[in-house]
Amino acid sequence: MTLLALSFTLLFVIATMLISVWQKLGLEKEIATGTIRSAIQLLAIGYVLQYIFRTEHVIYLVMIISVMIGVAAWNAARRAPGMRGIVWRIALSILTTELLMMGMLLGLNIIEPTPQYIIPLSGMTIGNAMVVAGLYVNQMRREVQSSKGEIEVLLSLGATASQAMQDVRKRAVKFSMIPTIDSMKTVGLVQLPGMMTGMIVAGADPVEAVRYQILIVFSFTGSAAITSMLLSILSYRLMLTKELQLRPIPEGTR
Amino acid sequence: MAAILEIQRLAKHSWNQDNRESPYLFEEVSAVIQQPECISVIGPSGQGKSTLLRTLALLDMPDQGDISYAGISYREKDPRLWRKEICYVAQQAVMLPGSVEDNLGTASRLHGEVYDVQLAEQLLEETLLAGLDRKKNASELSGGEKQRIALIRSLLLRPAVLLLDEVTASLDNISARAVEHMLQQWQAREGTTMIWVTHDLEQAARTSSRTWFMSGGTLLEDQQTIDFFRRPATEAGRQFVRFLASEAAL
Ligand SMILES: Nc1ncnc2c1ncn2[C@@H]1O[C@H](COP(=O)(O)OP(=O)(O)O)[C@@H](O)[C@H]1O
Ligand SMILES: [Mg+2]
Repeated sequence: MTLLALSFTLLFVIATMLISVWQKLGLEKEIATGTIRSAIQLLAIGYVLQYIFRTEHVIYLVMIISVMIGVAAWNAARRAPGMRGIVWRIALSILTTELLMMGMLLGLNIIEPTPQYIIPLSGMTIGNAMVVAGLYVNQMRREVQSSKGEIEVLLSLGATASQAMQDVRKRAVKFSMIPTIDSMKTVGLVQLPGMMTGMIVAGADPVEAVRYQILIVFSFTGSAAITSMLLSILSYRLMLTKELQLRPIPEGTR
Repeated sequence: MAAILEIQRLAKHSWNQDNRESPYLFEEVSAVIQQPECISVIGPSGQGKSTLLRTLALLDMPDQGDISYAGISYREKDPRLWRKEICYVAQQAVMLPGSVEDNLGTASRLHGEVYDVQLAEQLLEETLLAGLDRKKNASELSGGEKQRIALIRSLLLRPAVLLLDEVTASLDNISARAVEHMLQQWQAREGTTMIWVTHDLEQAARTSSRTWFMSGGTLLEDQQTIDFFRRPATEAGRQFVRFLASEAAL
């Protein structure tokens, strides 16, 4: 695809902005910044990837995955404002998920140990883990809020932190996995997933593309479960004080 | 011998600073409980009776002062073990998910002990719940049933000190009397100390040997129940008794 052809797609963006002005939606500025940001981010990552693929240096691979995890953890932690120490717990959950995932994929020779495979698959794993982690922390706070009474009953009967939080944890884990499970059920029927679409457009055999997609779907489900459970183990204690009382939940759920 | 419970100059800051003359919800609350007894806690609402009980169970932290159980300060004790001995029963009964039986068995489940079915049955009977289907989902119970189940759920923990927060508030007279009777028998058998918040002066007179009157941001009177009802030591106490008595007469 030529750069010129790509530029023509900007017409869509401009059309959208015109509609926004015409309909007084007030979205022009956001559309403009969004367009510029995504273009710069994607182009930049393209050049970075090109460079990494050429040099094939492990250190770059580690660096780029660390950045991915850092950004993902920071982004997911925004769903739990005021919860101290949640960022590194999310980062640790995502990192563990990523290591297990790559360990399995590489160990079983499912993918080749080259950046071409490792980086995109890591990106998807980490991105999915980020969504799951964000959903988990958000739901955890809501569950605690709505189950205050139950938690206090358990505490007043001498429950440990883990006993008092068990039900709430279970519910939040379940909740955080719903989107992943739902999309597993409808994949291919409702939407053709991005990776498969991309491979087919780029000329790959559809059956081959489907195989990779199945791999992705299964790994996503596995990694969602791992991220969410690990995060629930690492973070439930944060909801209670040292003296085993419910910590007041800071305002703001987004 | 160390006292069962010793409260020393306990204070709790008030949240709403602006519309109060004192920065405390209550302060300078001191009392010693030497032997198992039943203490009534009375006073106008909003005085912090519930908060005092919750603090004694460490569900809220004391802001000042100290509480000791059997000679050991709360600061030196694991809050979990503390709550096994000093158990708060809330005014608003909250059922845990599951059946009535699941709720009754909570304490035994938490502490890996055997669930005493016979004792549970006996307590259900004594509180007029003998016919209740224990397989029933606890969330379907009536308010009064919930309150009694919550109370029995705590009794089955067998704490040394029971903190009862208006536990007969949503009961009809007959059930309330049954609960009173059950608790008195329980105390006679188990030697449990009870600190019991109530709005019912007659209930206080029937059940307790000692009365705490909370007013003016502190524990204003700590007297033998007989003495308190015969003649409260403070003007606030006299007014309160008169007020409740006139209400009861209506
Ligand atoms: N630190 C505090 N803890 C609990 N309640 C407080 C506190 N500071 C102020 N309050 C207010 O004081 C009142 C305390 O009520 P409560 O303890 O339930 O009293 P009572 O049981 O005597 O009616 C409530 O209205 C609450 O909003
Ligand atoms: Mg109260």
